[in-house]
Amino acid sequence: MGAKGTRKRKLTVHILRDRLGLKPSKELIETLKKQNEIKNKIFKAIKDEAKTVPEIAKETGLDTTTVFWYLMTFYRHGLVEEVGKTDEGYFKYKLKR
Amino acid sequence: MGEIMEKILASAVEEKNEKEYDVLIIGGGIAGEEAALDLAEMGFKVLLVEKEPSIGGHMFLLSKVFPTLDCASCISTPRMAAVAHHPNITLMTYSEVKEIEKRGEGDFRVKILKKPRFVEESLCTGCAQCESACPVIVPKEYDFGLRGRKAAYIPFDTAVPKIAVIDIDHCIFCGQCEIACPVGAINFLQKPKIIKVKVGAIIIATGYKLFPIGRKKEYMFGKLANVITSMQMDRLLAPTRPYNAVLRPFDGKEPMNIAFVLCAGSRDRTVGNPLCSQVCCMYSIKQAQLLMGALPLADITIYYMDIRAFGKGFEEFYQQAKDMGVIFIKGRVAKIEPAENGDVVVYYEDIENGGRLKKAVHDLVVLSVGLLPNPDIAKAFKNVKLELDEYGWIKPKDENTNPVETSIPGVFAAGCIVGPKDIPDTVVEAAAAAAHVAAYLKEVRG
Ligand SMILES: Cc1cc2nc3c(=O)[nH]c(=O)nc-3n(C[C@H](O)[C@H](O)[C@H](O)COP(=O)(O)OP(=O)(O)OC[C@H]3O[C@@H](n4cnc5c(N)ncnc54)[C@H](O)[C@@H]3O)c2cc1C
Ligand code: SF4
Ligand code: SF4
Repeated sequence: MGAKGTRKRKLTVHILRDRLGLKPSKELIETLKKQNEIKNKIFKAIKDEAKTVPEIAKETGLDTTTVFWYLMTFYRHGLVEEVGKTDEGYFKYKLKR
Repeated sequence: MGEIMEKILASAVEEKNEKEYDVLIIGGGIAGEEAALDLAEMGFKVLLVEKEPSIGGHMFLLSKVFPTLDCASCISTPRMAAVAHHPNITLMTYSEVKEIEKRGEGDFRVKILKKPRFVEESLCTGCAQCESACPVIVPKEYDFGLRGRKAAYIPFDTAVPKIAVIDIDHCIFCGQCEIACPVGAINFLQKPKIIKVKVGAIIIATGYKLFPIGRKKEYMFGKLANVITSMQMDRLLAPTRPYNAVLRPFDGKEPMNIAFVLCAGSRDRTVGNPLCSQVCCMYSIKQAQLLMGALPLADITIYYMDIRAFGKGFEEFYQQAKDMGVIFIKGRVAKIEPAENGDVVVYYEDIENGGRLKKAVHDLVVLSVGLLPNPDIAKAFKNVKLELDEYGWIKPKDENTNPVETSIPGVFAAGCIVGPKDIPDTVVEAAAAAAHVAAYLKEVRG
């Protein structure tokens, strides 16, 4: 059923899903779980303080490539902003309010 | 395409009525756009079919163009808009030509599969609220995987048309996009359609695909984050770039010592492509110059076999790069290996110093990948044969005197599907193909 029970109309996505018996694959669900974990870790790390990719990686235990890839995805979706740059050539990023 | 989309496409229903156009153009890159505009201006009714969600081909993704260094999207975006708004051009994006039958001169019957975006084109305003709401992230094709997009997404900031698409194969059917859309544009019940058209002539402008450089194992593409392709570098340098600056994918650091490896997947029999891709030398020199502007303190090295600077202003462009301080080393790169902190070791044969094997460490390596043809369209011809050469490029009727006529009278070709070439040559060929179509239609229609 649709959002919060207030919506009477069944969403077209659910009609299609039921009609064709569609289910997201196990891999997709696993990937989504991992993505949510990564997102939460990164957001927590840069919520109050701007940090570089190596700093975020160290704090979250994720590798720098993963941190940077997600950070740039969030940056382009307008969730993260850059705040200055270090002498070593790393930008600092912070969660947008 | 994944299993779910395949299942949905299998249910496509053929529309009853047949529409008629003077010309069908297949492929909406700069070649297809220019040919469409030329013919539309002459008064012909044109149908332009593009398989991706947006027209623009490779050009609208580029940073600047050699040798003038004009902004690529500033040139291509107005052309794309002109195509979309011209009263004589009908645009079908996210669509594939499935069948072409020649019934006679000036009479081609074509079947086109219109894939569902699961978004009503007439309602979507391109606001991207569906994208913000969608929880699933997948690599973004238009940024060549450098960052992610959502399963509900706007293909590109400057896409034409700027209409959302649902990637049904990565959808978890949560409905968030549908709830978020302020205009009720999302419709998962949208069906694929097979549209029948009758046209007088056809132009094939399906362009090129990049050489899959992962095939050359020695270059470690896909294994080392700081080994990227030239197309990815063009994206990093473009105003619509995926990052906030030119940065290394390994850790987001500004690169200070960048290497270009020319002829990656070209002039190389070991990977099945002995041909020169014609544009790699110049686009690499372009990128090197742009990098010197973006990162004034960075060292830029180009490893090359020969520099093929054959066009107007190209030699001067090459000399200009040398004067700016770009280092040119004549030598084929044998292999690439990882070094510390994401750096990369390049092993090369130093031809000018006796051919000894040498190595150098760089903090970012760009593989100047070659071009391969997009010849799948040849399979759509049912009762006539579209001749391709041994590598899959379209074989013109006469390479010297008639480069845009194909083996089928009434079917013409333009741009990189005939062979690798730069944008000015592509545009000239598109204009030639349009003129040939006009002459052909005049002849067969009397
Ligand atoms: C990294 C890089 C940098 C470059 N830089 C420059 C530069 O600075 N200056 C310059 O002059 N040139 C440059 N080039 C070359 C330039 O990209 C080409 O000359 C130009 O894009 C060719 O245009 P086209 O329309 O022939 O092909 P494309 O741009 O490939 O367009 C073909 C279109 O056809 C569509 N298509 C394919 N198959 C089908 C099908 N079956 N049905 C429907 N549609 C289909 C594709 O989706 C695409 O939209 C560069 C190339 C690369 C790789
Ligand atoms: S229904 Fe699919 S496309 Fe829409 S938000 Fe959910 S996962 Fe994304
Ligand atoms: S589908 Fe709806 S939410 Fe998504 S871009 Fe279009 S109008 Fe906006």
